[in-house]
Amino acid sequence: MTLEEKLRILADGAKYDASCSSSGSTRTNSGGIGNAAYSGICHSFASDGRCISLLKILMTNCCIFDCKYCINRKSNHIKRAIFTPDEICTTTMNFYRRNYIEGLFLSSGIIKSADYTMELLIKTIKLLRYKYHFHGYIHCKAIPGASDYLLKELGGLVDRLSANIELPTEKGLKLLAPNKNSNKVTKIMSYVKENRSESYAPAGQSTQMIIGATKETDLDIMNKSEKLYKSYDLKRVFYSAYIPVNKDKLLPTLESPPLARENRLYQADWLLRFYGFKVNDLLDERNPNFNILIDPKANWALRHLDEFPKEINSASYYDLLKVPGIGIKSAKRIIACRKNFKITFEDLKKMGIVIKRAKYFITCNHKYFINSTYFQKGFIEANLILEDNIKENKKKEQLSLFP
Amino acid sequence: MKNNQVYLYDGSFLGILNLINKLLTVQIKPFNICNKNIYQPSLIDEIIDLEQDDDFKIKDLNVSKEILKTIYYVYLSNNEHKELIIYYFLLNAQKYKNKIFYMRNLKCVNHALKIAKYVSNENHKLKGFVRFKEIKNHVLYASISPTNDVLELLSLHFMSRLKNEYWIIKDIGRNKYSIYDTKKYYIVSGENMNLKEVEIDEEEKTIENLWLTFFRTIGIEGRKNKKCQMNFMPKKYWKYIIEMEDAYEKGNNG
Repeated sequence: MTLEEKLRILADGAKYDASCSSSGSTRTNSGGIGNAAYSGICHSFASDGRCISLLKILMTNCCIFDCKYCINRKSNHIKRAIFTPDEICTTTMNFYRRNYIEGLFLSSGIIKSADYTMELLIKTIKLLRYKYHFHGYIHCKAIPGASDYLLKELGGLVDRLSANIELPTEKGLKLLAPNKNSNKVTKIMSYVKENRSESYAPAGQSTQMIIGATKETDLDIMNKSEKLYKSYDLKRVFYSAYIPVNKDKLLPTLESPPLARENRLYQADWLLRFYGFKVNDLLDERNPNFNILIDPKANWALRHLDEFPKEINSASYYDLLKVPGIGIKSAKRIIACRKNFKITFEDLKKMGIVIKRAKYFITCNHKYFINSTYFQKGFIEANLILEDNIKENKKKEQLSLFP
Repeated sequence: MKNNQVYLYDGSFLGILNLINKLLTVQIKPFNICNKNIYQPSLIDEIIDLEQDDDFKIKDLNVSKEILKTIYYVYLSNNEHKELIIYYFLLNAQKYKNKIFYMRNLKCVNHALKIAKYVSNENHKLKGFVRFKEIKNHVLYASISPTNDVLELLSLHFMSRLKNEYWIIKDIGRNKYSIYDTKKYYIVSGENMNLKEVEIDEEEKTIENLWLTFFRTIGIEGRKNKKCQMNFMPKKYWKYIIEMEDAYEKGNNG
């Protein structure tokens, strides 16, 4: 098998992993090639619009597991391949020197046992670091069930070490991934959390959940995320719209992946991490799923209209963050600027703050952007939906997966 | 101020700072400031050659690092009024010091900060989009054609990343090269270079093809979104990004 064919098979097997970020590490070039950029760098963008930062590959797509949703499951009749450590190293080096990539993302199917697979991953990455003197970014997947001493060694070699939780509930996992259990995954997360340092997985850890393969609601998913962030200091939870790659009676049949739902989950995820929201603010048992027409923050604001409009020249930082359309940068900029002058709507534009959505929820010097009698739920809601121009997306996608 | 007085400088960063420092000291508000290498004389302009300070140093300006960085980025931009924008930014910086970054209601401040951001963004993008090819003697060679003059900023980035490599980056539009010899980089005008057409060997083609294979495989068919791809990777950069060259030449959207 040629190297090119292997690359095709093993990139194809890795492409469903959403994580491609290369940020959070300050590794320097100590006498070889490469360094990490703290902010991360995107090197290209694939035909699906996702960033390509890392050479994202599997070491092998052979696997002893038979997870229903996974393209690489044991029972699938697909071409199998395995990279040698040297092939992974030379490909990474050749791509990195030419500035195609920011580093390596290495994952793998499980061969023989978790420990055996981990040993192969470690061997490969050691070779890359010590023989090829590569100091660029490396994100490696830990294999659930691997021994502590192997986790210890691998984490000392890479910038990010992570394991995918895959499904938000144990029930979902039992159904679709009977060989996996979430304890094995959370054990890795605890280990990484406790050992993380400048020299151990400095860029932290992330995880991924598949959305729409099982019946969990958005509330289940967000509750799981909130818990993960709290318990394991995760940098990111990635949400990956389920894409049917296998036929199985346990799996839903979708016309297209639930991308709009995935988008809402990402938006809500930001609200949890940076905006001071709790899951309970956004969802409850009566409304366990996000509104597909309106983003979670605007939806929240419309349900709490009595807390608005916020006065730009006096609202607190967290109050400003509650305004749809105002993000962290904008809120900080408003606070810094208003010490020097009274901000008007005109100034907001000059300050580079997009008020397309925000204008409905704010006043500047106690003035609304139009006659204040328009400050009504119906008017605002209609305009927000209009501006989102979301109708098209709705046509493309049916979200009632389980009628 | 008379509105036809044009002050000329030598085109260098130090040159413009020297001139503006002089103008600020003697409190002259210029009608225009121009790079004398590209200045087009006009009948109504009155050209003024101020006597410049031979031992001017940047620290004579007495501004903070942040302010200096902002005006350097504006200086690198392709904005045709950048000299005046720098002048007014510095004029206000004397008054407001570092508070100037929050005086966004002033048009000239807002303008300068936006331009600086634009340059910094382009620099960041190109850190990812530069594509090297290996030519003779393991030298890495890349062509770029940026809107702003970010060659020097990019050189700093690749100097630490590809520390032990020999590399050359050519700015096609400005006809100049950055040449790195594993210790320092040198910015050289194309007029002083005699570099023949760069030749690529078979092995290089093989590696490029491997990359193309990876690039085509990693996109998920069910999530296809060309518009999103183009938003992040604007067409103006495609010509020198090998995985987009084909689409560029065919004139389609990839």
